[in-house]
Amino acid sequence: MRDAYLIGAGQSDYGSFPGESYRSLFRTAFENACDSVPDGIETEDVDEAVVGTLGVGGRQLGLPGPAVTEHVGLHGIPVTRVENACAASGYSVRQGVQAIRSGMADVVLASGVEIMTDVSGDAVRYWLGVSGETEWERLSGTTFAGVYAQMASRHMQEYGTTREQLSHVAVKNHENGAKNPHAQLGFECSLEDAMDAPTVADPLNLYHCCPTTDGAAAVLLASEDVVENYTDDPIRVAGVGAGSDRVGLFQRDTYTAVPASQYAADRAYEMAGYGPDDLDFAEVHDCFAIAELMAYSDLGLCDPEEAGEFVASGKTKRDGEMPVNTSGGLKSKGHPIGATGAGQVVEAFKQLSGQAGERQLEDPQVGLTHNVGGSGGAAVVHVFERGMGGDAA
Amino acid sequence: MTDDSREGIRAVGAYAPRLRVAAEEFAEAWGSFEASGIEEKAVPEADEDALTMGWEAARRALAAGDADAAEVDWLGFATTNPPMAEEDPTVRLGSFLGVADDTTRQTFTGSTRAGTRALFAALEAETDGVALVVAADCPQGEPSDAHEHAAGAGAAAFLVGPDAPAPITDRAEHAEPYPGTRFRRAGSEDVEGIDVTSYDREAFRETLAGAVDAVDADDPDAAAVQAPDGGLPYRAAGAMGLDNGTIHTCATVQELGDTAAASVPLSLAKALADGHETVLGAGYGSGGGADAFVVEADESVPADLAIDGGTDLTYAEYLRRRGDVTSGEPNGGAAYVSVPTWKRSIPQRHRLVAGRCPECGSLAFPPEGACPDCRSLVEFEPVELPDTGEVEAVTAVSRGGEPPEFAVQQQKSGEYGVAIAAFEADGESVSMPLQIVGAETSPDVGDAVATVIRRIYKQEGVIRYGRKARAEGDE
Repeated sequence: MRDAYLIGAGQSDYGSFPGESYRSLFRTAFENACDSVPDGIETEDVDEAVVGTLGVGGRQLGLPGPAVTEHVGLHGIPVTRVENACAASGYSVRQGVQAIRSGMADVVLASGVEIMTDVSGDAVRYWLGVSGETEWERLSGTTFAGVYAQMASRHMQEYGTTREQLSHVAVKNHENGAKNPHAQLGFECSLEDAMDAPTVADPLNLYHCCPTTDGAAAVLLASEDVVENYTDDPIRVAGVGAGSDRVGLFQRDTYTAVPASQYAADRAYEMAGYGPDDLDFAEVHDCFAIAELMAYSDLGLCDPEEAGEFVASGKTKRDGEMPVNTSGGLKSKGHPIGATGAGQVVEAFKQLSGQAGERQLEDPQVGLTHNVGGSGGAAVVHVFERGMGGDAA
Repeated sequence: MTDDSREGIRAVGAYAPRLRVAAEEFAEAWGSFEASGIEEKAVPEADEDALTMGWEAARRALAAGDADAAEVDWLGFATTNPPMAEEDPTVRLGSFLGVADDTTRQTFTGSTRAGTRALFAALEAETDGVALVVAADCPQGEPSDAHEHAAGAGAAAFLVGPDAPAPITDRAEHAEPYPGTRFRRAGSEDVEGIDVTSYDREAFRETLAGAVDAVDADDPDAAAVQAPDGGLPYRAAGAMGLDNGTIHTCATVQELGDTAAASVPLSLAKALADGHETVLGAGYGSGGGADAFVVEADESVPADLAIDGGTDLTYAEYLRRRGDVTSGEPNGGAAYVSVPTWKRSIPQRHRLVAGRCPECGSLAFPPEGACPDCRSLVEFEPVELPDTGEVEAVTAVSRGGEPPEFAVQQQKSGEYGVAIAAFEADGESVSMPLQIVGAETSPDVGDAVATVIRRIYKQEGVIRYGRKARAEGDE
């Protein structure tokens, strides 16, 4: 099967933008992605597009894909909208890779977009819960904060994880986000800030929860047959893995792990021929602080009982042994639901192409992105490596 | 036919909300408290109503009488405050309890006399098993009105049938037109009255005396007398040939407030639970009419009463619970569960009916789709789960962390807990998410919880009822 390569990636600023529409944000991300392709790319080169979005607010629930691609002059090509909650655009990247590996396309735009802040507080909370299990979980009175809080309660009980360790996730991610010009909450926070914030769903406080965000992200993928037209410094999609699980937490076998993430990671590692020890960094789905701790163990970076100490000891800081969420993560960079997965790949592209500015890691070769839908009903993991990879490397 | 002389009360259950507000709270807020003889009163939680309180009393009566809901072949429900002005509440009450679908159901409303009317009807009912009489009420009025100051909450239930330890030996009724003493306009939730003190007292006294005169009640040990407040019953005592102590010994109004259609049933429940032998019941409804009856409890009556208070409210908290200072349902709209979809899950919502996989024996909740364990596409065998489970994971959702469906509840009651709890049946375990009610909003992982029926939410005007859970020991 043909390999797929990451030739460009870009995003809009993440934040709250009353002056922007879902289409204008998409355009910004698309233009930034095109501009990032080292040898340039023309709109007509794109064979196919995939757009991830949940559709918060219900603005264009049907055909949101063509509605944004037409806006950047891509009408005519096949366009598919992918909905897998917060993993929508992680899955759109996966679908782009599939199109290339199958031979049906040479250049694919994989993207995501979401506007969340132009609806009332009540309305956004209606929408935030729509990817939870609706009939039982939501109607017990939880949104995702509550469901992840339940996971945290169990993690604390089983592994002795502490609120302070959860707060370290916020401190680290804000420290990184403060160096990311696209970040929504691009400021540093102290451990005291992150400990003393108002409770949202016990034991999680405001600093253990990501914000709601407007934003778009776009990734350009090319086949091995055409990649040299666009770059001399290719980034190979070494591994792709995805998995699913019961939508409601109460229906799963464990509350202290996300099995869909484990399935996705196992498959991505197997395809890549790499394991967690080979990674130079990871962008993980930290919608809540506990989610980042579970991601550590689900991705094999440490054992579950070590997850709290893994962050508190500084191992996942930029200068640590396993930098996680150098972009600021969902916590600081922001979480525009449908754009988040593609946005993680934007950070992987920047790190692997040496364009991460103040937060640039030293010569990373292999990076991973991890994107979760809902509380774990869907997950997708990508492993990227510099170079042509395999036999061509 | 049964032995008429032993037709009567076989078991008793009662319930009152744990929330209480003291008369002093009203006095502080208003300068005076307008309901005499009431020290404190019971206040329904935001997710309680006459139907949920009725269920609480009914399940206790069934348990006390060691009776199964399947034995109930007549179900009567009495309240002046049915949750819906039109729609038969006994259908849902029957479903909560698990009574048979061919059980005769009757609703009694429109008068504080509804409780005693239901009891009389149960005695008339042709039953092969037992009749279950449930009276539950939670009146309300305008905040400044004396009826509102008096308004309390509570429920009582009786198993009625032959061979009873407490037969009802005599009964009578009396009516005389006295319009205006207490009424509720069509479409209104608020009780009001013309407030002419002497006329109100006369109506109460004359109608009750007329009914009591017609029964053979020789020097009762206790008298369960209608108590719109804590003063009126004693003003009619002499006319009924009673002394104040006989009324006071089983009065509940001073602690629960005016419980309207449940007033006489609650006092009767207390009298029987306390072991009184000859009990006079005297129910009054404005209009006016009265019922009188005599219970001769020559054997002890099995009883399970849960009417003690637990949490004291300030007047501001009381207003929040009443919904007087909260806004309505928020706008929005997503994550919609249609009423037909809800209907399909009613055995699970009302009675925790799980499913057993016929292939591997695992439990599924809700019992639909592939088996969670062996993944076979099967038709599950229904398994009713026990009322008690164990907390596996838990959170307490603060203001702002709730889905909008629960925004009004949050405004009324504040933070609530949500647990995932595991329930076991025949060695297999199955889990479900449940909101936590009661004082302890956040039990620990590993704690036991017992399920209760509460309102879940209301959408499109339809109240959705289902199970929530209470930390064990937190009554």
